[in-house]
Amino acid sequence: MEYTQLTDLRLSEFTLSNLPLLNELRTRTLAEKPRVCIERARYVTDSLKNTRNSGEPIQLRYARAVKGFLARKSPQFFDGNLLAGTTTSKPFGAPVYPELTGLTIWPELETISTRKKNPLIIDSADVNELNFEIFPFWLEENILEATRRRTGNPGNLKLFEKLVFFLAGKAGALSHTVPCYRVALERGVDYLIAEALRREHKIIAQGLLSKADKQQAIFYRSVRIALEGVRDYAANLSRGAAKLALAETDPVRKSNLEAMAEVCAQVPAGPARTFREAVNSLWILQVAIHAENINMAISPGRLDQILYPWYRADLDSGDLTVAEALELVGCLWLKLNDNTNLVPETAEELFGGAGTVPAVTVGGVDGQGEDAVNDLTYVILKVTELLQTRDPSVNARYHPEKNSRDYLARVAEVVATTKCVPAFYNDSAAIRTLVNQGVSSEHARDYAIIGCVELSASGRSYDASSSILLNLVAALELALFNGKRPVTGDLQIGPRTGDLESFTTFGEFLSAFHAQLTWLIGQAVQLNEEFGRTHQEKLPSPLLSALFEGPLESGKDLISGGALYNASGATHIGFADVVDSLSAIEQLVFTDGRFTLPQVVAALKDDFEGNEPLRLWLANKAPKYGTDHPVAVKNSTSLLAFLYETYQGYVNYRGGRYRPAFWTMTNHAGQGKLAGALPNGRKAHVSFASGITPVSQAAPDLTCCMRSVARINPLHIPGGEAFNLKMVPVDTADDLESLTDAVEAYFQAGGLHVQFNIMTYQTLVEAKAHPDRHPHLLVRVSGYSAYFRDLNDAMKDEIIARTAYDSRTGAALPLPAGYRDRLPANEPAEKMIVSGDMLNSALALPLAKFVDCITSEIVEEFLEVLLDLMKMVFFFDDDYRKNIEGFAGRYLFRSVDRSITISAVFAQGKLHVDEEEIPDPHVQVIFKDGKALMNFLLAENPDILGAMLRQEVTPEGNLNYLYKFAYMARHLQRMATGRVS
Amino acid sequence: MTLPLIFDIRHGSMDDGPGIRTTVFFKGCPLSCSWCHNPESQRMEAEIFWDAQSCVGCQACHAVCPGGASAVLPEVTLHREKCTACGACTEECPSNARSLIGKHYPVEELVRILLLDRGFYRATGGVTFSGGEPTLHVEYLSTVLQTLKKENISTALQTCGAFDLENFRRHLLPYLDLVYFDLKLCDTTSHLTYTGFGNELLLANFSALSREMGKRLVPRVPLVPGITATELNLTEIARLLRELGITTYQLLPFNPGGIEKRRLLGQPFSPEIPESFMDRDTERRLRELFRSTVR
Ligand code: SF4
Ligand code: SF4
Repeated sequence: MEYTQLTDLRLSEFTLSNLPLLNELRTRTLAEKPRVCIERARYVTDSLKNTRNSGEPIQLRYARAVKGFLARKSPQFFDGNLLAGTTTSKPFGAPVYPELTGLTIWPELETISTRKKNPLIIDSADVNELNFEIFPFWLEENILEATRRRTGNPGNLKLFEKLVFFLAGKAGALSHTVPCYRVALERGVDYLIAEALRREHKIIAQGLLSKADKQQAIFYRSVRIALEGVRDYAANLSRGAAKLALAETDPVRKSNLEAMAEVCAQVPAGPARTFREAVNSLWILQVAIHAENINMAISPGRLDQILYPWYRADLDSGDLTVAEALELVGCLWLKLNDNTNLVPETAEELFGGAGTVPAVTVGGVDGQGEDAVNDLTYVILKVTELLQTRDPSVNARYHPEKNSRDYLARVAEVVATTKCVPAFYNDSAAIRTLVNQGVSSEHARDYAIIGCVELSASGRSYDASSSILLNLVAALELALFNGKRPVTGDLQIGPRTGDLESFTTFGEFLSAFHAQLTWLIGQAVQLNEEFGRTHQEKLPSPLLSALFEGPLESGKDLISGGALYNASGATHIGFADVVDSLSAIEQLVFTDGRFTLPQVVAALKDDFEGNEPLRLWLANKAPKYGTDHPVAVKNSTSLLAFLYETYQGYVNYRGGRYRPAFWTMTNHAGQGKLAGALPNGRKAHVSFASGITPVSQAAPDLTCCMRSVARINPLHIPGGEAFNLKMVPVDTADDLESLTDAVEAYFQAGGLHVQFNIMTYQTLVEAKAHPDRHPHLLVRVSGYSAYFRDLNDAMKDEIIARTAYDSRTGAALPLPAGYRDRLPANEPAEKMIVSGDMLNSALALPLAKFVDCITSEIVEEFLEVLLDLMKMVFFFDDDYRKNIEGFAGRYLFRSVDRSITISAVFAQGKLHVDEEEIPDPHVQVIFKDGKALMNFLLAENPDILGAMLRQEVTPEGNLNYLYKFAYMARHLQRMATGRVS
Repeated sequence: MTLPLIFDIRHGSMDDGPGIRTTVFFKGCPLSCSWCHNPESQRMEAEIFWDAQSCVGCQACHAVCPGGASAVLPEVTLHREKCTACGACTEECPSNARSLIGKHYPVEELVRILLLDRGFYRATGGVTFSGGEPTLHVEYLSTVLQTLKKENISTALQTCGAFDLENFRRHLLPYLDLVYFDLKLCDTTSHLTYTGFGNELLLANFSALSREMGKRLVPRVPLVPGITATELNLTEIARLLRELGITTYQLLPFNPGGIEKRRLLGQPFSPEIPESFMDRDTERRLRELFRSTVR
C-alpha cells in the first residue's frame, strides 16, 4: 500500500458541482451530435495521389501521407477542455478511413445524416468531395479489393462476404492494440526521431547494403517522417492556442489557452515536465495514432501506472492538487469521447452502439508482481464514477493476493454507482495465461486490456485481437445439415460430414462438428493471412511502430512482425448456445434415446412449429452450461480445449500464434437474427447468448452461474472472454459487500473476467419504450459500454433478456412477459415519400417512368429505367456527370433465371448500356427480380444482409464499384423524389 | 436416521445472514401461518406444484401417472386427492408445469452441495438452515452441522422457536454461529388464530436463549399488514426486546409471493393477506416506531 496516501479512497468531497469545468464539459459532450470529418481522408488521399509516381516504397509514401495530414490538420479548440488536440475537425467526429471500410458508406452519403439508427451529420460539400475526389482514388486500393485482386477472389473471401460464417476483421481494422506511451512521455518524440535517425545512419554507414539492411533503413526513415508529423501538429496547436489567447477576453479561457500554448510547445516533442504536460502529451499521441490507424480500440492502457510519476512529483512539490488531477483526468476522459466510427447502416446491425472502445486499465500488480494500486488509481476511479461516459472503457485489474480488499470494494462501489463499469479482471489468471503464451513474467504482469476484454502485454505485443469473428453456430449447423446451412440454402458450403442417420454415437456426431469447425477455422485463418499480407504491402504503421517496444530495436514495422510479441485474435460467437445444443443432443438423443437426431433436425427446420413439447424438452430438460451438470461441464470444457488446440496450431504472417477469445460485441444479436432454430430449444432468429455468458435462465442462481464460468481453464482463452452478469439491487453497504465477495470468490475459483449491469428488467424495458427519457443510460454490452438508446432492437432485446439475479436471494429472476419466448422485432418498412419535382423538361419522361417504377409494384423494368435515366442525367446535368469523369467501370447485371442480362460500361464520361454479357466486369450483380434489386439499391433502410442471405441479390467482384453505383442510383432517387435540387 | 424432505437449496443468497450463503429449506412446520411466503414448506409430505398456465397439453403426465391422478379430459388436471406425489409426472413434463416439492438428500450429498460455494462464503458467509422448521429434524441437522463445522463453515439457523430447548441446546446450539428467531405476534390468542400454534413455548425459548447467546440470537419480525404490522403488536415486541436488552433485530418486509405458490399447491389463501408489498411510507413509519421503542 505504499503508493496509496489518500485517506479517503472515495474522494467523497468531490462532486460534479464542485468540479464545474468537468460538469460543463460533460454536458456539452453528451449533447454533441456526431459529424463526419473528411479532413483525414482528404489529406491522406491527396498525399498518396501526389506520390503515386514517385517511385518511393509504400513505407515512405504512407509515412508522408500520415505526416502530411498531421501537419495540415486544423488545430481546434471547441470548449474549455484543459487539453489541446482533437481527433477530428469536429467536436464529435467520425473520421474516414478509405483504405479500410470507408467506401462502404458511399451509397449512403446523401442519406446518412437522416437515417434512423445513429445518424451522422455530413456537409454537402464534404459529400461531393468524398464522392468526386476521394473515394474514386480508392476504388481498387482498399484492403478488401486489393486482397481480392491479389488472390483472385478465393472461396474463403466469398464465404466471408456471406457474413454468417465468420467476419474478417482486417478488412476493416488492425488497430486493436495498446501502444507504449511511456518512452515518448519521458523522453519526447524528438528523442525517438533522433533515435530512428541514428539507427538509419548506422545502417547506411555500413556501406554495402543487403536487401534486409535497405528495408531497415527505409523503416527508420518512415518512422522519422511520421513522427515529424506529430511534432508539426503539436506546433500548430501551440500557435493556434497562442493566437486564440490573444483575442480571448474571458480571463479563465485566456489563461487556459496560454497554458495550452506553452504545453504544446514542450510536448510531445520534448519530455513531459508536469502532470498536465504528461496527460496532454499522451492525448496528442493518441490523436496522432489515429492519423495512421483506424479509431477502433486503440487502448491507452495502464494510465494509473504510466502517469503516476508526474502525478506524485507534482503533488509532492505542491504544483498539483487532487482536484486539479481530477480535472485533468476528467478532461482526458471527455477527449476520448470526441470521436466515433463511421458505420454503414448494415453494420449497425452487427456492431451498433459501440464507441471506439479505447480501453483504460487500472490496478493490479507491477512488473515485479507487487501491489501497483496508487492514488492515481483512485483518481481515475473517481473520474469514471463522476462522468459516466461511453468511453473510455475502464477495466480494473485485481490480484487476489497482492491488491487490498479496500481497493476491490471501491471498484465494486463504482460499479454500483455507474451501474456497469469498470469490468473486473483477475490478475493471477490473466498473467498465467499470458506467460503460457510465451510472454515473459515481467511483461505479462504489465498487461492491459485492449478494446473489449482482450489481454495484451501492453506496448510490447501486437495482438490484432479482432482478426477473426467466427460463428460457432455455423459449424454446428454445417454438421447437422451435412455441410449446408439453412440461411444459405442449397449451397454446399462445408465438407460432407455425414447424413444424420449415419451417426450412431455422440462421438461420431461430435467428430462431424469438429471437422466442420476445423474446416471453417482453416478458411478464416487463411483469409486473415491474406489480409495480413495486403496490410504488409499497403498499410505499414511507422507511427504506431515508434510508440511500441520492439520495432525500433528490430528495425521492422509492426505489420512485419517488429513487436516483441505477435498474435492474432479470433473471437467466437454463440459459445453457450452451441455447448447447450451439443449437450442436448448427447443426453436426449444418444444417452436417453428419447428422440432421434432426424426428429430433432426436422423440428429445427420448422422452427419447432407444431412440436412445442420437443422444444421444451430441449430447452428445459437437457443439461445446461451454467450449471454443475457433468455433461454440460464436459462439453463446455472440451469445446474450449478443442478451439485452443486448433488455433494454436497456426502461425500468423508476423510469426505469432492465433489466440481464441470469447467476446461478441453485438454480433451475437446480429448473427442470432440470421440463424435457424437450435437443438438447445432456441427458436430461429433469437439472439445468442453474449460472450462466454451462459444462456439466459440456464443458471438457477448467481453463484452457480459464476462457478460454472470460473471452472473454465483461462489458459484456453488467451484472447480473453466477456462474462456478463446482471444483478439487482446493489443499494446498501451489505449489497456492496456481497458484490465484492462474489467477485473475490469468482476470482479465487479461477475466473478471468466479469462485468455487471446493475439494472432491472423494468428499467431496460422502460428505456426501450421511451428512449428519449433515458438518453444516456449506459449499459455493458459485451466488453464495451454503450448508450442503450444507440443499440439496435435485437441488441436491446438481448440485454433485456439477460437473466437478472436478485442480489439478496441470489436467485435468477424470471424474465418479464414478452421475453420468455422472444421473436425478433419486425419493423414495418418505411414508405417512400414522393414529390413530382422535375429538373428539366427533357428529363420529364424518364423521370416520370422512374418515379412510377420505384413507387409501384411493377418493377421488372427497374434496371432499364434506372440506366436510361442515368444516361439522360449524365447528358444534361454537369454536376451529375462529374460522377463518371475519368471513371472506367464495367458492370454486369444478370437475373438468376438469366432472363435479363444487362451490361453497363462507364468510359470516357459516358455510359453504354447493352443487353449482352461483357468480359471481366469489375462487379457482377446477380438478382432474383427487379424488386429485389431495387430494394437492394434504393430502400431507405435497406436490408442488405437479408437480401444477400436470401440470395435475392448476390454481388461478385469489386464491391467498391457497387457502392459507387448505389450512390449514383440513390442520388437519382433523391432527385426524382424532390429531395435534392 | 430418517431423511427429512428438503424443498429447495438456494445458492448465492445474501438475504439469509451475513455474506454470501447457501440456504437449505426443510419441509414441515409446526406452525401454519396464513401469510407464509413459502407455503410449500408447511406440510411434512412431498407435494406437487401444478401450473396449468404453462402446460402445453402433451399428456405425458397422464401416461406415467400410476394412480390416475393426472387426468387429461376434458382438460389437463391434477386430482390431488389421488396424487401420491410420486414425482413421475414431474420427470416427464417438458414445460415444468409439474414440479416435485420435497426431495431426500443423504447427509454426504447435502454436504457436498453445501460446499460447492465454499469459495463464495469468504470471511462472513456460510450456510443457513431454513424452512419450514429445521429443528423438526434434529438428528439429521445435527449431523450436517457437525460436518460443516469440521470444514470451518459458518452456520446459521432460521427458526419459529417451537422446539424442545434441552434437545436444541445439546444437539444444535454448539454448532450454530447465528440463530434467527421469529417473533410474530405477542398476543397469545392472535398467535393461535393466525399460526395455529400458541406462543408460550416460543417466548420461553426466546428469553432463555437470549441470555445464553447474546448477539448471536437475532429476532426477526415479519411485517404482515394488518396482522403483525400493527402499532400495538410491534410496540409489544419492541418492549420485550428492550426488557431483554436486545438491540439487534430484523424487520422483514412483507412478501406476497405466498399467494402465487398457494395457487400452485391448489390451496386457498386467506383473503386477509394483502396481494401487494407494503407501501414505503408505512413501512418506514413502523420501522421508526419499533426502533424508538427498543431504544
Ligand atoms: S406425482 Fe405421481 S401420482 Fe401425482 S400426478 Fe404425478 S405421477 Fe400422478
Ligand atoms: S406433462 Fe406437463 S405439459 Fe404435458 S400435459 Fe402434463 S402437465 Fe401439461
